[in-house]
Amino acid sequence: MSADADIPMVERRPLGLKLVWYVVSLLLVILAVGPAIWLVVIAFQPAGGELYSLRGGFTLDNFKDAWTQGGLAWPIVNSILVTFSRAALNVLIAALAAYPLARMSFRGRDVIFVLLLATMMIPEQVIVVPMFRMIVGMGLYDTLLAVVLPFSVTAFGIYLCRQAFLAIPEEVEEAARMDGAHALRIWWSVILPLSAPTLATLALFSVIGAWSELLWPLIVLQDQDKFTLPVALTNLQSALATNVRALYAGAVLSLVPILVLFALAQKFLKAEIFAGSVKG
Amino acid sequence: MTPLLFLAPAALVLGTFFAGALAQVVALSFTRYTAFRGPEWVGLENYRRLLVSERFWQCLLNSALYLLVTPVIIVLSLLAAMAVEAKLRGMSWLRLALFLPVVTPTIVAALMWRLLYSEESGLLNTALQSVGLGPINWLSERPWTLISAAIVTLWKGFGFFMMVFLAALLSVPRELKEAASLDGASRAQVFWNVTFPSIRPAIALVFVISSISALKVFEELFVTIKGAGIAHQTVVPLVYQVAFEEGNYGMASAIGITLFVIILGFSLVQLRLSARGERA
Repeated sequence: MSADADIPMVERRPLGLKLVWYVVSLLLVILAVGPAIWLVVIAFQPAGGELYSLRGGFTLDNFKDAWTQGGLAWPIVNSILVTFSRAALNVLIAALAAYPLARMSFRGRDVIFVLLLATMMIPEQVIVVPMFRMIVGMGLYDTLLAVVLPFSVTAFGIYLCRQAFLAIPEEVEEAARMDGAHALRIWWSVILPLSAPTLATLALFSVIGAWSELLWPLIVLQDQDKFTLPVALTNLQSALATNVRALYAGAVLSLVPILVLFALAQKFLKAEIFAGSVKG
Repeated sequence: MTPLLFLAPAALVLGTFFAGALAQVVALSFTRYTAFRGPEWVGLENYRRLLVSERFWQCLLNSALYLLVTPVIIVLSLLAAMAVEAKLRGMSWLRLALFLPVVTPTIVAALMWRLLYSEESGLLNTALQSVGLGPINWLSERPWTLISAAIVTLWKGFGFFMMVFLAALLSVPRELKEAASLDGASRAQVFWNVTFPSIRPAIALVFVISSISALKVFEELFVTIKGAGIAHQTVVPLVYQVAFEEGNYGMASAIGITLFVIILGFSLVQLRLSARGERA
């Protein structure tokens, strides 16, 4: 991993201690990866015989069934749309809000910052009823926009961006201002490029969260063609009760894209971000 | 004027959907409000009925039991962080493997564990029976239902807290550890007298954050032990059922407020811990 460099080489260890850590690591890896491997095995297993048991054979039928009987085509498209919009909007709106909070002085700045951050203490699970009411009132019930809108910015995102902007030296901005650039221009062409790694991390967090979310889309979506993948899978849990392997094939389908993305983008998951995230 | 323009989109979204919704949920908790009738003021009636509602107390008790996830996840993630920090030869992919559950959508995690829990022929019961134990009714008998869901929460969450602890471990000054070993301290002594005190703030924060997420848990129960009945669920699934399956929005709001007050207690502790961390 890219962050290897920030772990200092540890002094020579006695063999016994090394062995202990190898065993601990191995157990943890089995715990972390084992269930996922088992899921994949079952998803490729041919029908018939005792369910859930280890048998030979390989088939793609379960995936075909998930696609046709399960109707996962639209949910996949919807999930991609929702996830992409939520991540893009979160980065955009959070970075906009963080800029004056980090780099301008105006009356009430600190109060506004605290108030925005305070919304982090309001759990989504507690306010689903009024949020649902608002969405219905806006005429957005059963639309993808309803899934995106309330989460198009997060207080955590604002916090993260503000931290990154604070670290940019004054002079850089000063130079651009001398050249006559106005605030929006400076934000776009100076501040954003310099904080690209943080913005990428925020995007990655948003993608992971949005791709996984079940509760809110379950509440505001009704039409099967509008379902996101998690909602569709919940629905299939009952609908495909007789063809469980197809359900698991569907689960594999919703696991693969996020794993690919994670493998490509893992360098943005530095330990320091997590130190910040618990402070936020 | 400019700062406010930058802040407007974020303030609008968070103000409407979080602050506004919180104000509404408070008001709605004092009303009789169902899918068929608009809100009508009834004072404390919902809360009075909650006090004598058997399933409410059952779910609240289950939520309290679910908090036991926290100590287990702290031990597991600290162990993982130390394994990753030990940085053994050939184990550079360890962190990646242990982070896999974090990016796995919760619904997929729940489905893959459900596969292992299957009572007739799941891998867990098959293994237990081969050594003369079980079978265990993972999906239908208390307290196993709660344990089954809690294992999914543990599995999905420990990689995240591992990164938090890794950040804390990496910030322990090496000189301190070296000085202690030079003075003849054993490895265990170095851990308890140098490392542990330095990461104690991180442990305290993880304790609070993990407790808050345990109180907000939904998907692990809703999907993993689907069909077990409301007596096996915690407070958030109860909110979902009362609001969106029974259409009793007023009552669901009152349950939500009760949960919010409990979570708020934990949030205030978190705030104090974070403030102390910033000063240090």
